[in-house]
Amino acid sequence: MNVPEFSSAPEKYPARYGPRANRNQERCFQIAQSFFKNGVARTKARYERWKELEERLQDPALQPKREELYMQLRMSESKYLRFLRTKESLSNYTPIKTIGKGYAGEVKLVRRKQDGRVYALKRLVKTEMMSHEQLARVRAERDALAEADSDWVVKLYTTFQDNMSLYLLMEYLPGGDLMALLIKYQIFSEDVTRFYAAEMVLAIEAIHRLGFIHRDIKPDNILIDRHGHIKLANFGLSKGFRGDRSNGRYKENQRPGPSDNQKRNSVNIDEISLTVSNRPQINIWRHCRKVLAYSTVGTPDYVAPELFTGRGYSFEIDWWSLGTILYECLVGWPPFASEAAYDTYTKIINWRESFIFPDDVQLHPNSIGLVKSLVCDQETRLGRHGADEIKAHPFFAGVDFGTLRHVRAPFQPGLTSDVDTSYFPVEDLPQTEEFSPPAAAAGHLANGATDDPLKPDMSLPLIDYTFRRFEKSFM
Amino acid sequence: MSNIFSGINARLRGTSNKPASTKSPISPTSDDGRLNSSGGLSQKSHSSASLSSKLPPLPASPSLSQTITMTGSGEDILTSYHLPRPLPLWLNPAYARHIVKGNFMTLSARPKTVEPGEWIAHHVVEHYRNLWNFVRVIYEKEEDGTSICNPTTCPKMSAGTNHSYTWLNSRFEPIELPAIEYIALMQRWISGKIDDTKIFPTEPSGVSFAANPNIGNSTLLSGTDEWIGKRSGFPKDFSSICQTIFLQMFRVYAHLYWAHFTEPFYHLNLEKQLNSCFSHFVLTATALDMLKPPALEPMQPLIDLWAANGTFPPESKAYEYANLNAGNRLLQMAGMA
Repeated sequence: MNVPEFSSAPEKYPARYGPRANRNQERCFQIAQSFFKNGVARTKARYERWKELEERLQDPALQPKREELYMQLRMSESKYLRFLRTKESLSNYTPIKTIGKGYAGEVKLVRRKQDGRVYALKRLVKTEMMSHEQLARVRAERDALAEADSDWVVKLYTTFQDNMSLYLLMEYLPGGDLMALLIKYQIFSEDVTRFYAAEMVLAIEAIHRLGFIHRDIKPDNILIDRHGHIKLANFGLSKGFRGDRSNGRYKENQRPGPSDNQKRNSVNIDEISLTVSNRPQINIWRHCRKVLAYSTVGTPDYVAPELFTGRGYSFEIDWWSLGTILYECLVGWPPFASEAAYDTYTKIINWRESFIFPDDVQLHPNSIGLVKSLVCDQETRLGRHGADEIKAHPFFAGVDFGTLRHVRAPFQPGLTSDVDTSYFPVEDLPQTEEFSPPAAAAGHLANGATDDPLKPDMSLPLIDYTFRRFEKSFM
Repeated sequence: MSNIFSGINARLRGTSNKPASTKSPISPTSDDGRLNSSGGLSQKSHSSASLSSKLPPLPASPSLSQTITMTGSGEDILTSYHLPRPLPLWLNPAYARHIVKGNFMTLSARPKTVEPGEWIAHHVVEHYRNLWNFVRVIYEKEEDGTSICNPTTCPKMSAGTNHSYTWLNSRFEPIELPAIEYIALMQRWISGKIDDTKIFPTEPSGVSFAANPNIGNSTLLSGTDEWIGKRSGFPKDFSSICQTIFLQMFRVYAHLYWAHFTEPFYHLNLEKQLNSCFSHFVLTATALDMLKPPALEPMQPLIDLWAANGTFPPESKAYEYANLNAGNRLLQMAGMA
């Protein structure tokens, strides 16, 4: 819109600037957006806390405590604001033990020096090589966890970064994960399976309600809290729909799909040995899977076919994963297990032929029925109209979904202390005192601030990485 | 295209053909920041006396600007700003828009349950992080070593031809620096303050226990034994340090608008983001009494425009400091009145 009184607006031409400027543009764009979004959300939440207090003070019995209660709220608001502006750094935490290690980082059990609380701190190493896709994953995880304020999702307290790494400070769930339970018990009874299945239905429903598709639901990502109830973790592949202009379906090939060379290998001679009920072998397989889980490739075992056929997918993709996990709980291995990932891909794509229940496993028809209604075409998959249709399946007859999280879980971790890691298979992990930065960068990290005055704040990708949750502990 | 304001426009162009510099005999207004050994940045108070001696009253104080609102026409006031003609792109209401809708004041107004010192500290840090989000775009070097803001594009820390800012060196002498160096020095100074937990305490145990009914609003306290944030461990000079930080941040914003609005922010589709962050900054800084009218001068016309187009709600100080007639005139010129 050009008016002679004003300088005329030239045609926009972002390519006139270099790649760094354009990268900064992207960042700036997103940060400004999230600044206002977060600002509004915090303002609302603060107002709600005040309203809540005012409501409580309607009770005449509390009148004498009016000043005191106001003071308490004021103090917790102050603590939160201080927390928001505190520069988080690794030095605020004492490392206790490494509880997980992956291709891009590690998870340590840490204790916050300030208040002695125990957390799980996930660290992702920033490298020059950190690809766009990896950054996108980190962001996806941060967004999903930051938005979720649900009992079914592992809590993210804060995120921060230094020159070397990105950090996610999360609640520590001492019960380990479903993978470890499956390794320990090999197979679940139908009753135990029903409990975890029902909890998974609620958990998946919760994240879908937030607008996220997890896309990577597998036993390793289902964590067990101190009471034995589950929480979803690892949202690194999740997709958020809010803010996206898509109409709710993705058409893309995010996962490495079966490629040309896969076709050559489609006849796999080891296939047979894995589909017989050979428990020891399955556990060897599981152990390999655990190793595989930390590799860049990950495991495709629980992934729905539509994710790599490029037909487009939506929320129902997570229900397929639920079906494959239930199968694993009941049968002892996932339905498309193979020694090599590409064989698994082939089996998944040809699920009509490859998906079978072994003859020697005795299961109730309802169990088989539920799994079959989840591991099937996306057009007919149970759950595509919402979680309620899964809850209504006869397999769940008698389950009270409303109180599920408050009932006694079938397996309860007996813990000796707040830093008990006995449910994490840590013996395979190298235990280092500190987070181990790459040698070349160690000095850099130790110095903290560099000489360049703009360096610490300005050289970082993902500057809006920071997220801070208002904690009950402020109260 | 015919323009119903063509008559007015002709007059406008007639009066503004002379370069602004000939009308404004003053050297660039300079108030100075210095970096001395104790890390203090001293401020000479900003004076627009040289402008006001020659021209109709400037919006130097709320009462003055109110007077102008009543008496001066929008055109006269705009003329008194000595703006280059045609007017900068960012004064075109079509490019003064935002990424957010609604009343920004909800983000600035101190909630009842938050201690005033804590609230100011919070906003200093938030706005600092926000501003540097934009600065990074013009500051960071490409592979070939060039940055968008460099000593060739911006040999001075300027905000248009009427304003440039000097830094004080260690001998308290005002020195002219390329904008990029000024910004770097200032970043170092501000982060030095913000990271100093004696000035910006972060200990959760240090938060104020008692509510002081006397410290109920955001105005500065004149008493010597009481100051904003005292009970929460903020030092006595906390407010004045924060005022300086806000003033310095304002200068950077002013430079971004005057020197870099089109290149690069408009080209990079960041102009709405910049507008939203800056208008939020002005609303907050004025609401907290961290910025007062004389300092706002280089950006006065945009403030006028935002008061007129509803960005600044009537109950805000920013609105009070604005000149509605000038803002309405800008809207009128764009055919948006």
